[in-house]
Amino acid sequence: MAKVAYYPGNTARAASMEVEDCIVPLCKTLGIDLVEIPKASSDGGNIISQASAKLQHSLVARNLALAEQKGIDIMTTCATSHAIMCETADTLAADSLYASQLNNLIARTSGIEYSGESKSRHLLHYLVEEVGLDKIRDAVVNPINLNIAGYYGSNMQREGACGDDDIFLPSYLEQLITALGGVPIDFELKCQSVGAPSLLTLEGTAMAMTAAVLSDAKQNGADMMVSACTISHSNLDSYQSRAGKLTGKDTAMPVVHLAEIVAFALGHYPDRLAQLRTRALIIGS
Amino acid sequence: MSVIAKVWIEEDCITCDACQDICPEVFQLTDETSQIVAAVRVDGQFDRNTGGALLKANFGEEFAEYIEEAAEACPVEIIKFEVAGGAAPAAEAEAPVAAAVAPVAEAVTVSAGTSDALASVFAGDRTLTILFGSQTGNAAGLAEKTAKLAANYELNANVVDMEGYNPANLVGAKRVLIITSTWGEGEMPDNAEDFWQGVNSSSPALAGVSYSVCAIGDSSYDEYCKAGTDWDEKFSALGGTSIQQIQLCDVDFDEPWSQWVNSVLPRIACVDDSGTFQESLVGEMAAYGAGGDDSVSSGDFTPGTVSMDEISVSIQLFRYCPSAAESGWDNISCSIPAHATIEDLLVAIQQDVDGSLAFRRGTTGGTPTTGVFVNGRIVLADLARISDVVDSKGSLKIEPAPGLPIIRDLIVDLSGYEAARARAEPWMRADPREGARLLNGAAVGTMDASSATILHQKSDILSYQLVQSMSDTSVYDKSYEGPGVHLQQWLRAEDPRCGGEQRRSIISSLNESDGVWAEADLSSIARYGSDGKLAARGLIEARAHLLNASDYSGKHGRLVKWYGRSVKWTGNVNETTLYRQVLGPLGLVSNIFNGVSARMVLGFTRNGGPPIRGLQGLLMPPAGVGKIPNMINSKVDAHHEVVSLFNEIDKRF
Repeated sequence: MAKVAYYPGNTARAASMEVEDCIVPLCKTLGIDLVEIPKASSDGGNIISQASAKLQHSLVARNLALAEQKGIDIMTTCATSHAIMCETADTLAADSLYASQLNNLIARTSGIEYSGESKSRHLLHYLVEEVGLDKIRDAVVNPINLNIAGYYGSNMQREGACGDDDIFLPSYLEQLITALGGVPIDFELKCQSVGAPSLLTLEGTAMAMTAAVLSDAKQNGADMMVSACTISHSNLDSYQSRAGKLTGKDTAMPVVHLAEIVAFALGHYPDRLAQLRTRALIIGS
Repeated sequence: MSVIAKVWIEEDCITCDACQDICPEVFQLTDETSQIVAAVRVDGQFDRNTGGALLKANFGEEFAEYIEEAAEACPVEIIKFEVAGGAAPAAEAEAPVAAAVAPVAEAVTVSAGTSDALASVFAGDRTLTILFGSQTGNAAGLAEKTAKLAANYELNANVVDMEGYNPANLVGAKRVLIITSTWGEGEMPDNAEDFWQGVNSSSPALAGVSYSVCAIGDSSYDEYCKAGTDWDEKFSALGGTSIQQIQLCDVDFDEPWSQWVNSVLPRIACVDDSGTFQESLVGEMAAYGAGGDDSVSSGDFTPGTVSMDEISVSIQLFRYCPSAAESGWDNISCSIPAHATIEDLLVAIQQDVDGSLAFRRGTTGGTPTTGVFVNGRIVLADLARISDVVDSKGSLKIEPAPGLPIIRDLIVDLSGYEAARARAEPWMRADPREGARLLNGAAVGTMDASSATILHQKSDILSYQLVQSMSDTSVYDKSYEGPGVHLQQWLRAEDPRCGGEQRRSIISSLNESDGVWAEADLSSIARYGSDGKLAARGLIEARAHLLNASDYSGKHGRLVKWYGRSVKWTGNVNETTLYRQVLGPLGLVSNIFNGVSARMVLGFTRNGGPPIRGLQGLLMPPAGVGKIPNMINSKVDAHHEVVSLFNEIDKRF
């Protein structure tokens, strides 16, 4: 069984409990051994970096070092957290002096160092590249049978953070949706930001961006949406009615996290899948 | 049967179609002239072939008869050709290259076609000494560039640092160019001071020296370009011959330097081995030097060392007609060398498919205004190669650069960007100075080498117009000035030469509602290559500066402050705390009335999850008004390690 450290991101154990509900059974079915790293902290969410890039880098490097101590990579369900970890690893790899400074700090405060061996993997990339679509297809118990739009967001669609997928024309989500028995719906704004980092400070703009993504997917025939980013999921789901109200766009659509849809297809929470189908096909939101 | 080695079209074509009718495989008409088809030429270009590129071997034989017939039929007798390895028509004497069967690479370097007089100038010593006086590296950089261009005029340029240069070496030099900045209040750069003193004290006789000076300075200073004018006067006083008037360059020195170098090189190249200036040959010399340049930059399909096979591409091309206010897509399939740029492709489409296609052409590889959106990438059309952007199916979707109004087809309206830039005033405005020096000897307002290097690295941006297009936010917030403008402002504020008043003005401008805080997600910028990364990094630095200056006030400041505190206190983020602190009590409660809270609570229930999950996810108060309950916001293990990191690095939280 493949071992990987699990990093839930900043919200999976708070506002996004659905991810936490699904990731464990999902991995058990697919033979992924999730290793907890209870000492891992928030990665700063690209918010702390606005005050101190060094502080955010040190928090992230410590988390990576905790996984490295166990000799395994980190897997996360959050695209933002994944991008932050990749950016930190790249920065330290490119600047050995800076890496040395941070490692001194981490060693002094936590007794560990990050050598760069442990890398971050996003759940999506791990499923496609490590588990394999064939294995997932064979494990599907409840094919989804819906028109599904895959939302990547802008965070992990950058060099060094999107695995072997194309940065600008990604297709991993679509391939996975197909393997789960769904019909992937391509839409132009699947990599556009929904302004999640500015939800509290630029609500109008964030809502306009959220509404644009949802309505674009809907106009292209999506019954529902799957988000690869935990934080963006909150915008797309919890704020969708507000986004629609503020912009006048049709945004009503069920939005679930990637971990949920995979877990449902693999036979977990059939009651939730049934309700999702009802929402997608009858209620509409 | 004869074999045609090469064929070309001279000027004054009347576009009568005769040649194309006779041999369309070789001749093709454009609106202005007949041209030689790319497919039959070894250089793969489509132009009049005045550079004399050879025909591919089989075509020279296959179409020889028709080419000769076309030349005879041409009413204005401008079709010239050359027979391989043998006698040629009378036009051969005007052939732009000498050897009929020579390889292309050799044909470029051979000086045939030049007059005997010019050839005699090229004989003998061709040394050009380029002296630079440089404090921050700008003059040194220009000297290097000048040396490269000098090779086009058969000059052997030596770039020489003034530091340590012996004034006696000037005696006997035939050609000297001086490129120097001015430092402090009209002083020589540090590396030039000793040399200047040496020339003044030894007064070498420069009677045989032809020279010219390019002076870099800052017109906001009283002693603008004084070091350069000092050199110009000194050389003249010592008997040197000014081959061209001194060029004064302000802070934006590229353009005036370019004018100077394009003018001075042909002139100084006409100084022959005896030191005599052959003024009558300047025109021919200019054409000679420019010819080498053209052969590199004028091709429809980028020549050079990069060469790839042709690939078949299916192009989806955005079109917009402003008069009809209609937009749509053209679908075109074609084959094109994979190393060609997007601009090459657009030129080919314009020539062969639809002459009305509108797009911005570049002047050199990397022209900042040629941005387009290709397969999801924001790229410069004259720089991005097709092989780098085409997808695995051979598809190319070409659209205008995003986030900007469209004028026609792929041309976007940059006037909004330019207007915002004009308002932002990111150009240098130094404070008036009195020439004082600090106790350590440095002149006030100067920039040390390490600061200059850091600033250069931060501002190594290919196109600010492209950066302006990278934001996902600007489409949704029309008042947002955009990251391209803000980045220029921030870099100017970081420049130690920037005046205090300007710096304060920039910081104030960046902190306004349409400033750097208007960007909703910097990750949308950071994903676009090195320009995007640099821009996002610069804008984060700007935000950090503003936060410190404002003591973390305002919504943005409170978000950062409380995010940090939340993480420091528990190792985790507490969203309720953020809501409470950023939006205030009323803001938090407002979510209850606008439906957000309901969707949060019901979100899991809607999917069949237990209601308690929804309540946990919502993180309801009292967290927002009092103590954070441990149930929801438990600390990470070894939380003290996180606190230690905060205390070590940043105690503000």
